[in-house]
Amino acid sequence: MMEKVISGNDAVALAVKLSRVKVTGIYPITPQTYIIESLSEMKDRGELETEIIRVESEHSAMAATFGAAAAGVRAYTATASQGLLYMHEMVWWVAGSRIPVVMTVGTRAVGPPWNIWNEHTDFMSERDSGWIMAFASTPQEAMDLTIMAFRITEDERVFLPMMIGMDGFILSHTKTRVYVPSQEEVDSYLPPRRQPYVLDPEDPIAMGNMFSPEDYMKLRESIHRAQIASKEVIVEAGKEYMKRVVPIGSYSTLNESYKLEDADYAVVIMGAWSLDAMQAVDELRKEGLKVGVYRIRFVRPWAEEEVVKALSDKSVLVLDRSVSFGRGGQLYTEVKASLPDTDIKGVITGLGGVSIGKNEMKVIIRKFVERPQGIEWFYPKEARKIELRSPRYIK
Amino acid sequence: LSLNYQLFPISKPAKGAGGKTGNWRIVRPLVHEDKCVGCKACYIWCPEGTIIIKNGKVAVDYEYCKGCGICSNVCPAKAIEMVSES
Repeated sequence: MMEKVISGNDAVALAVKLSRVKVTGIYPITPQTYIIESLSEMKDRGELETEIIRVESEHSAMAATFGAAAAGVRAYTATASQGLLYMHEMVWWVAGSRIPVVMTVGTRAVGPPWNIWNEHTDFMSERDSGWIMAFASTPQEAMDLTIMAFRITEDERVFLPMMIGMDGFILSHTKTRVYVPSQEEVDSYLPPRRQPYVLDPEDPIAMGNMFSPEDYMKLRESIHRAQIASKEVIVEAGKEYMKRVVPIGSYSTLNESYKLEDADYAVVIMGAWSLDAMQAVDELRKEGLKVGVYRIRFVRPWAEEEVVKALSDKSVLVLDRSVSFGRGGQLYTEVKASLPDTDIKGVITGLGGVSIGKNEMKVIIRKFVERPQGIEWFYPKEARKIELRSPRYIK
Repeated sequence: LSLNYQLFPISKPAKGAGGKTGNWRIVRPLVHEDKCVGCKACYIWCPEGTIIIKNGKVAVDYEYCKGCGICSNVCPAKAIEMVSES
């Protein structure tokens, strides 16, 4: 293991290299483009064993990646925003086919109007596709989850693809300290490739062909049950990762709690701005407000038991950087479904790159304490001064 | 796999797995053996694998031929005629 100061994109590219990915189908789109540029540079220097296939669209990028994975090798791709939406059909095809594939989504707003900055709506739009969906909060976590993803997806209890969300620019382009494992450490962690079936001309099969209504429905239930079974696999993979690869991090649970034990109020949040929320909570606690943070790391599978255990006796504020129009934030609806008898407020903010930091969080949390129900859209002009400081790390 | 909930959307190829598709047909390919030059273009192009090679000439498996007419189109000798089933 060595310490480096690198961006989220760099960290993910290194994770792909260390995981010995054999094929990647690539198509550029901001803000993930640097992942594939970085992979191409490594390839040019002869450091990478991955075959890089340049294609003409995101739909084809996933098709090429899927084809390689179906043929029996570890395969990876990355996309964002409009690219993910263009890829949408193939995203479902991969999950329905039960072929392990790993993808990074450098989250970004969806047009129109055109906007390249961060929000989570693109990522959340794949919520029902059958993919395992994790969201990183630091470049370190983006790397860790990418390496773990190969172990999780290739477990026979799972056999589903996995996407890792990473806030566009905030994580993808900001350089921070990352512990990069050695090749030996990752090799000892990742078993040889496993998948439910392999494309083989000597033993032909038809993939995804016509199934009768009852058989089709059984296959859908199978995905549902594999998602639920993946919870224990994720926890095992997380614990093993901390033992063999990088010993920091909090991977013994799906999600993460921060100062929740004695809290009356909880802030539910996902992604890079969780750390801003933690800073805001630290300061509000000095003022006597008993508030903590519950960070969602896995959207799918949804950690129902963990959520209920952590939040059922608290007033809950859910911050969403995405929206389901006419209903509210997706995390808000998920948390509300898990906690039907709890006071829950949903706040939608930070869309299209609207900058929300510690001070804005404090304003949002104070307003929530006054009125802990309903759904609100928050614009940060309410929070007057902005303080520039370097990001903080979780031990 | 030992897990009873894990099911995968694949099938093994077998003749007639989708039923006798020959009854979908509204036009039938009729091979004029005197014109057939034995080039096997129809055999290569048939999407259903229903062209049978017999003594260097071709015949059609009418139990599964859907009557799409591709064989007739690709035949360089114009030896396959599409005729109405009715």
